[in-house]
Amino acid sequence: MRATLTALGALLALALAGGQVQSQTKEKVSIAALPFVSSSPIFIAKELGYFDAEGLDLEIKIFNAAQPVAVATASGDTDFGITGLTGGFYNLAGKGALKIIAAQSREEPGYDFVAYVANPKAHEAGLRKPADLAGKTVGITTVGSTFHYNLGKLAEKHGFKLDSITLKPLQSIPNMSAALKGQQVDAILITANNAYQLEKEGAGKIIGWVHQETPWQLGALFTSTRMVEGRRATVEKFVRAYLKGTAAYAEAYLQKDASGKRVFGKKAEDLYPIQQKWVKPEPQPQTVLASANFIDPQGRLLVKDIYDQVAWYQAQGLVDKDVDPRKFLDLSFVQGHMQVPQN
Amino acid sequence: MPETRPVPFRGGGFNPAGWRWASWIAFAAIIAAWQLSSSSGLLPALFMPSPLAVLEALARLVETGALTRHLAASLQRIALGWAVGTLGGLAIGTAMGIFAVARSIGLPVTSALFPIPKIALLPLLILWFGIGEPSKVATIALGVLFPTIISTYTAIDGVPRNLIRMGQSFGLPAAMIVWKILLPGALPGILSGFRISSSIALILVVAAEMIGAEHGIGAFILAAGNLMQTDQLVAGVVLLSLLGLAVSFGLSRLERWLLRWR
Repeated sequence: MRATLTALGALLALALAGGQVQSQTKEKVSIAALPFVSSSPIFIAKELGYFDAEGLDLEIKIFNAAQPVAVATASGDTDFGITGLTGGFYNLAGKGALKIIAAQSREEPGYDFVAYVANPKAHEAGLRKPADLAGKTVGITTVGSTFHYNLGKLAEKHGFKLDSITLKPLQSIPNMSAALKGQQVDAILITANNAYQLEKEGAGKIIGWVHQETPWQLGALFTSTRMVEGRRATVEKFVRAYLKGTAAYAEAYLQKDASGKRVFGKKAEDLYPIQQKWVKPEPQPQTVLASANFIDPQGRLLVKDIYDQVAWYQAQGLVDKDVDPRKFLDLSFVQGHMQVPQN
Repeated sequence: MPETRPVPFRGGGFNPAGWRWASWIAFAAIIAAWQLSSSSGLLPALFMPSPLAVLEALARLVETGALTRHLAASLQRIALGWAVGTLGGLAIGTAMGIFAVARSIGLPVTSALFPIPKIALLPLLILWFGIGEPSKVATIALGVLFPTIISTYTAIDGVPRNLIRMGQSFGLPAAMIVWKILLPGALPGILSGFRISSSIALILVVAAEMIGAEHGIGAFILAAGNLMQTDQLVAGVVLLSLLGLAVSFGLSRLERWLLRWR
């Protein structure tokens, strides 16, 4: 009896110790992300065990705006962040706290993501294509947002002044939809799933897509300077797992048939439960497909475009003059970044 | 002969008349300490801009002419919103001070509506008034209305009854009692209500300019926050503070002039 008890005790002790060893070998890391399909390489990599395979125990912290994601990463509340690149991001990165290490979303020709949507009345009155936005009233989220940048680049491309557009910062996507429906703005910029919804309701007409006008690097995976300097090996492991996620994402959502039309197969279906778990509000399968924008399968950044973005924001006075992309880009974690300026 | 003994002077102290340079020295000391900790690196620029950076941001605002644009837009909204809210509040508050029926209806309604955060009503105000100027003015006016009602009503309520009775026994008509006794008697209370309502108007201008405002101090502060331009953010806040000081100074002058009969 006693022997049995001792043996049991020893076994228990072993099991406990074993458990401890296992939890010790996994390194805890955290990432700040938005609950959007564009963050889903992270969700996919976590659910399919790619982070576990690298010995990382990943906690995903969900935020509701791009700004707090960058702030949380800069302040050390999370180790990584993944979101859209905004003027606010560059100002924060320019203070030396952040490093961009891999690509997230990109506006790539052939992949619908952000649309220019006109209200039906303005459409009838002649607002038929993005170039017609000169002189109109356009709703955006905030000054210095990606939508603001898109309009600036559009103005540059078609040779009109951005000043000629009356920008209405409306803070949120629902406000923008409401303003369009109430015909208080002539047009808005909005993501594909919302754009389709507006068109279905007869409240808006899609007059073009940003990828047709001004393709650009929309989002990035980034970490803090502290992480790159102090836990480089961890960052390398993290990026490896992330790139498996982007590859799986590309196989499921970015395939095209011979005629160049996008096709979604069984792989997209298989990933749906992951999207259902992480994307908020919980999407329908077709919403996921409509929101699945282009993400480089190998995490490569359009580097020159990031330089251009910073220069544009600086020209508008929205980003401080001393912000230097060279200082917050760390191109050593991903191979084959595109259009790297030679300097 | 009773014995007399000298009594030392026991007055003095408890004198609210202050040392007039104390506030300036305190301000200067705080700002100097702030600048010192910024330039020594104790306070990283990521978390708080230095006073010099804030000053530079202000200077840039003046240089580019953005300052006048923002100030003009905001002052217009504040002045209009405050005037509308104050006129409404004065009318309702006076009615509540004079008529029993108005008081019985007004008090519970005011108590029910006053604590509603006007920012929470912003989406409704936008539906009613659109994203243009009217919704911004309405936000400020609503915020100003209720405190003005309460200060006006309590000020009128606090006018000594014996003054009114005296007027009555001298045969003054009711309208004259209101004009010559009630309103002047309530004026100090109403004016101190203005101090509160003007501060509320300044607070609400930031909320009012959240939606669809291209220019204005509130829009400027919000944009600076979105852009993580903390120096400009603090510069905008400093502007609001200065505006608050200016309004307070103006109200003091108004008080001295209106209450010169005291």
